[in-house]
Amino acid sequence: MNRLPRGCANVGGDLAAAMEECKRIFLSLFERWGYSPFLPSGLQLLETSWERLPSPFRQKLITVNSPYGEPCCLRGDITLATVAYLASHHAPEERPLRICYSDRVYMRAEKPRLAMESFQIGAELLGWERQGADVEMLFLLLETLDRIGLEKSVLVLGDATFLSTAVSSVESSAAERIISALQKGSLVEYRRLLEEEDIPDFYRAILQRIPDLHGGPEVLAEAEALWGKGAPLQSLKNIVSTLGALGYGERVAIDLSLIRELGYYSGPVFDVYSESFGQSLGGGGRYDRLLSLCGLQGQAMGFGLDLQRIASLSRFRKRRSPVMAWFANLSSEEALRRARSLASDGMNIEMSWCADRASSLRSAAKRGCSSWADLSTGAFSEISPAPAAAGLPEKEKPSC
Amino acid sequence: MLTIALPTGRVFPEAAALLASAGLPASCLASPGRRLVFEEGNFRYILAKPSDVPLYVGYGTADLAFAGGDVLQESALPLVELLDTGKGKCRVVVAGPPLLADRFRGHASEQMWLKVATKYPRITDDHFSSKGVQVDIIHLHGSIELAPKLGLSDCILDIVQTGSTLKANNLEVLEHVSDVSLRLVASKKSVALRWSEIRSVSNALKPLCPVEAEEAGGRRKYFFRRSGRSAPRPAGTTEL
Repeated sequence: MNRLPRGCANVGGDLAAAMEECKRIFLSLFERWGYSPFLPSGLQLLETSWERLPSPFRQKLITVNSPYGEPCCLRGDITLATVAYLASHHAPEERPLRICYSDRVYMRAEKPRLAMESFQIGAELLGWERQGADVEMLFLLLETLDRIGLEKSVLVLGDATFLSTAVSSVESSAAERIISALQKGSLVEYRRLLEEEDIPDFYRAILQRIPDLHGGPEVLAEAEALWGKGAPLQSLKNIVSTLGALGYGERVAIDLSLIRELGYYSGPVFDVYSESFGQSLGGGGRYDRLLSLCGLQGQAMGFGLDLQRIASLSRFRKRRSPVMAWFANLSSEEALRRARSLASDGMNIEMSWCADRASSLRSAAKRGCSSWADLSTGAFSEISPAPAAAGLPEKEKPSC
Repeated sequence: MLTIALPTGRVFPEAAALLASAGLPASCLASPGRRLVFEEGNFRYILAKPSDVPLYVGYGTADLAFAGGDVLQESALPLVELLDTGKGKCRVVVAGPPLLADRFRGHASEQMWLKVATKYPRITDDHFSSKGVQVDIIHLHGSIELAPKLGLSDCILDIVQTGSTLKANNLEVLEHVSDVSLRLVASKKSVALRWSEIRSVSNALKPLCPVEAEEAGGRRKYFFRRSGRSAPRPAGTTEL
């Protein structure tokens, strides 16, 4: 028995294949749109991560000492590593910078989960100006979700600036408590705090309505009416109208109480949900503040998705059955040459080097192949799954 | 169809009565027998062990649920807590033999390395570690009150309603940890994707929840008191 450390997992079989397929689709799409792949270091210096992450997130970091005695943590967040990399490797005139990645992140798990490692795909766009770039990223994210078969997933959009402005007139520790209640999802505590804290009536009325500001684009109009002139919702309005015009209107919902776990967001934020899973599949947002913490000025937007979760909900979850190509006692060279022409037609091939035809057919049925090809004649036979237990395909029963 | 998870046991009748009083189709819950899943109108009800209820919501199997504050705190799942029903009220306390009372009156260091038996290891850990106290947590699944009596632990952390079980086992409350009541919670996914349905249920239940109704009353009074305040305009942002 080859035991793994607690909290770790090997991923294989159909799920691993689905994850690889989703990753391939994601990376190839983003690379076509000018995003460069990035492979961050597995260890991050604690001194660079600690100050830039909120306390609840810090507590989940897995800290280690490097063999050179430097206090480090296993990479818990790829955005931080990306921003640090871009800050040190690219001159300001090279911006905007587009980065995409697919890698593992490590964090202490909370019950009932034990897993401390997860797989993340994501992208970052730094140093852009004006509004188009945040929509670019959301558009590409929706395109990715469509291509992997999550056409019914929904982007839930909020705005960190809307909330932070609404609590800006509240004493800072009270504002933190109010934000923390929303972050915990406790509307009971949130309402109680609004009662107790000293908040100007104008903002109190807005804060009281925030938990109800959920729904379609009409929510933005309602929030604007509540706020009056100068409502900090322009970025969100641009995103919603552009995505709507691109045909994604049904895939966008507004939630002005949305707060993401990582505290470095400072503009539009979003989470991705699918009907089939109770928690967010990932999300992201604008993080100009994190950029300034790293000594950079400008705007930045990014997101990360849980690759394992999206793969398990994707259309690749059930692996496409391969065609078993029987070498039919041809020379290896000839068999491979003929199989290559099948593979180049887009088929998934699994070679069979059995000496006899019947064993090859039995093997194809057992291994769940959709069909079987005799490379000497080029003839195909369909393999029905039902008689697999008997070891022989139904449509063609060769004599042994 | 909205799916609502309900805890079996002591608070089930109160949760079922709340749903019926709110006008939801819930007559099937009047005499559930041994069935665990019911459908009526546009609702599906799942009956589950109280400690499992948050999991059904957390993983999106149920859209809504009634769960005790203790169970929610222990599960620490990311859920949206919509309402405090005010039903099923009790307290989470540290209790022990009267001899131990002095150690809870003095400096926190006197509680170091107490053996604490509990059904709630996470709440216990959070409570004592927030005071900087290290304790030895013994995770039990029932009859917690027996533990100090039989020498398994020094004290317990458990929920108390009337205190009669504590008294019967010669234990007394040493420290109050938190108040507990039955809460209406929703899955994050359902709040994101089915808010109008979730809100309808929450709004139908709100007038039946004394805590929520009281707060609404308090709010009105509060507004009158503060009506003179002007509304300053946004003056920069507080970073989240």
